[in-house]
Amino acid sequence: MGFFVTTLIFIVTGIIASFCARICCNKGPSANLLHLTLVITATVCCWMMWAIVYLAQMNPLIVPILSEGE
Amino acid sequence: MDLLRSEPMQLVQLIIPVEAAYRTISYLGDLGLFQFKDLNAEKSPFQRTYATQIKRCGEMARKLRFFKEQMTKAGLSPSTRSVARADFNLDDLEVQLAEFEAELTEIKANNEKLQRAYSELVEYKLVLQKAGEFFYSAQNTAVAWQREVEAHHIGEGSIDSPLLLEQEILTDPSKQVKLGFVSGLVPREKSMAFERILFRATRGNVFLKQALVEDCVIDPVLGEKIEKNVFVIFFSGERVKNKILKICDAFGANRYPFMDDLGKQYQMITEVSRRLLELKTTVDAGLLHWSNLLQTIGHQFEQWNHLVKKEKSIYHTLNMLSIDVTKKCLVAEGWCPVFATNQIQNALKQATFDSNSQLGAIFQVLHTKESPPTYFRTNKFTLPFQEIVDAYGVAKYQEVNPGVYVIITFPFLFAVMFGDWGHGICLLLATLYFIVKEKKFSSQKLGDIMEMTFGGRYVIMMMALFSIYTGLIYNEFFSVPFELFGPSAYECPDPSCRGASIVGLIRVRPTYPFGVDPKWHGSRSELPFLNSLKMKMSILLGVAQMNLGIILGYFNATFFGNNLNIWYQFVPQMIFLNSLFGYLSLLIIVKWCMGSQADLYHVMIYMFLSPTDDLGENQLFVGQKMLQLVLLLLALVSIPWMLFPKPFLLKKQHQERHQGRSYTLLHSIDDSPELERHHDSLGHVEFEFSEVFVHQLIHTIEFVLGAVSNTASYLRLWALSLAHSELSSVFYEKVLLLAWGFNNVVILTIGIIVFIFATVGVLLVMETLSAFLHALRLHWVEFQNKFYEGDGYKFYPFSFALLTDEDA
Repeated sequence: MGFFVTTLIFIVTGIIASFCARICCNKGPSANLLHLTLVITATVCCWMMWAIVYLAQMNPLIVPILSEGE
Repeated sequence: MDLLRSEPMQLVQLIIPVEAAYRTISYLGDLGLFQFKDLNAEKSPFQRTYATQIKRCGEMARKLRFFKEQMTKAGLSPSTRSVARADFNLDDLEVQLAEFEAELTEIKANNEKLQRAYSELVEYKLVLQKAGEFFYSAQNTAVAWQREVEAHHIGEGSIDSPLLLEQEILTDPSKQVKLGFVSGLVPREKSMAFERILFRATRGNVFLKQALVEDCVIDPVLGEKIEKNVFVIFFSGERVKNKILKICDAFGANRYPFMDDLGKQYQMITEVSRRLLELKTTVDAGLLHWSNLLQTIGHQFEQWNHLVKKEKSIYHTLNMLSIDVTKKCLVAEGWCPVFATNQIQNALKQATFDSNSQLGAIFQVLHTKESPPTYFRTNKFTLPFQEIVDAYGVAKYQEVNPGVYVIITFPFLFAVMFGDWGHGICLLLATLYFIVKEKKFSSQKLGDIMEMTFGGRYVIMMMALFSIYTGLIYNEFFSVPFELFGPSAYECPDPSCRGASIVGLIRVRPTYPFGVDPKWHGSRSELPFLNSLKMKMSILLGVAQMNLGIILGYFNATFFGNNLNIWYQFVPQMIFLNSLFGYLSLLIIVKWCMGSQADLYHVMIYMFLSPTDDLGENQLFVGQKMLQLVLLLLALVSIPWMLFPKPFLLKKQHQERHQGRSYTLLHSIDDSPELERHHDSLGHVEFEFSEVFVHQLIHTIEFVLGAVSNTASYLRLWALSLAHSELSSVFYEKVLLLAWGFNNVVILTIGIIVFIFATVGVLLVMETLSAFLHALRLHWVEFQNKFYEGDGYKFYPFSFALLTDEDA
């Protein structure tokens, strides 16, 4: 559940970021496409990293064992 | 998208009337969008049309270098003020420079003469003073001694030796030995040797008296300050005099005349002092004049320099044009981007108009099979990323530019290896300083390392931003975790936390929502967990990037209309990579989602060794065995699919294209050069099947073996990230916490200083460079060898702006 909600948050953030890029630096169609590509790539990279770390912790096989004297 | 593929370029021929040639090149240089081809490549530099002009420019450049040298000697630096001058004349400048040079050399020579005379006079004065002291003291002792002798004599003038007394009185002055003397200055370090050689050469028949000079004296010959001694040598005889003179010359001892008459000495001293004062004022006036002259030169130096460089480059370019038979116009050939056509035509029109020429220039597009240079229009943000890609190889004309993705993936992979948001913030602050002071830094001349850091400021900024993100995910702030995104998922099993170090914490809440749970840091099972996580993450990221690479290869194939590449390269490559490593990624994700205990190493290895075996407890989903068999078969089929069809199909294609081409083209004598080159590029009429096959074999083996090795290579993301977090943790625990534990302010300050130095030196500098390098390698090798050819050449237009960059 938490996974899908956060994925949705990532998608929404990506869309908002592309709109911001379009509003702030509207410099012709080719530059716009480049900015869109950059924003989408960045969103996908960030989401992948978050998703991997989240999935790895969903059903863990080991738990933290504290060291002595903690 | 402009950045994805090179700008379309065209080969253009310009026909320019001779009167307008100079101006045309000048305007094109201002525009900076035309790359000239050298049409006179076979001619030596002396045979070219404008060789004399280049020599003139070379002379002027030499004069300017001379001025610069003189200015550095005077301690002046040329002012960077640039006055925009209207049309100026090269001849005028030449004359002006020649005048200045003549004046400067004259002043220099005069100054030197005056300086020398001044030093000689100073030395003479010293000799007069010191030698005068000798003679004065010697005279005194001699007088005293004579009186004593006389007194003694008178006292003793007894009956004992009347004859002796007579004889002694008889010694008259005419029989006295005539002594001559030489006086001068000798360098102190040579004075011992001087004395010794004099003694030996004259067999001990000279008397040398030396006196130290307290301050250093400027030697007239050498022009530098040396410590000297004043000497006076007494001798008798002509031969001895010659020997002494020769020895003085050999030792560089300067001789000065000296009179033993006391009155004359005093006169001499006053006269020398007066002359010294006069000379000093003259010398000072000379120096003042010299520095004034240099200052006037210094005001205009940069401008002149720039102009001369511009002139030289214009003439070099003009030399590249070929002169038409009628000698009425010059022909230029070169590359320019298609979008610049209008600008170039305008520049040509303007030039012919300004030089009042009757004819207009002609702009003609040529069609050729030659490969054009690659040109990307970059701004200050995309430029460093493009340079990173170009450092490996410039993109072939119009192939996909990995630079588009590198802008994001390079900082991202760096950040995966660097992940600490504390260090990320430090990097960000450092690079923001550079970005804010951009204007100031770009006009200054920085050292090598600073220049590189400044040039890469936007890259470092992206790296820092992504590092902050990955730092938040790895939950490391100078290796300290924080519970920023909600409560941790783990709790102690009992309120007193006694079982925590044996059994471990228990899971009480849902997964920590963003990043690694803070309870992992410092626990005993931290490393097994994080290692497993980071290794699997590296594989997943690696497979994703390699797939992106193969897909970019598909885009290239579609763009160039290369169907063969799509069906017999792209498809089998995708199938091979994904049926093995894509499947592994899938297994990783399924294992995480299900929390199963399956051993993925075992699964992958036995998929190859005994695919028909039962999976047993390593089964993750129903039908896995069947799926594995299918995937294995697909992978095995894709290898010959990559290898065999393409050479045969290429051969068939080649035969179809050259069917009926048994006759070669007839050459006419006055073929223009482009047609000849055109024929050459078609001249690969030979198709070596064995060569093509071996090439395809190499390509296939590279891909198949590379799939395994490249995937494993991505594990460096894990390795460097582990190194970084361990180093950071060691510095924190063993330096800062240790210093804190002593409860002593002095030790604490020392500890903080050591911590700061270690963090900056090892983590911020060394680790940054290390992660930068490895992220670069991952892009250059693992990502780009899936699709990039990179054997193009860069567009290097004739531009005055680039001129000043390269020489400055």
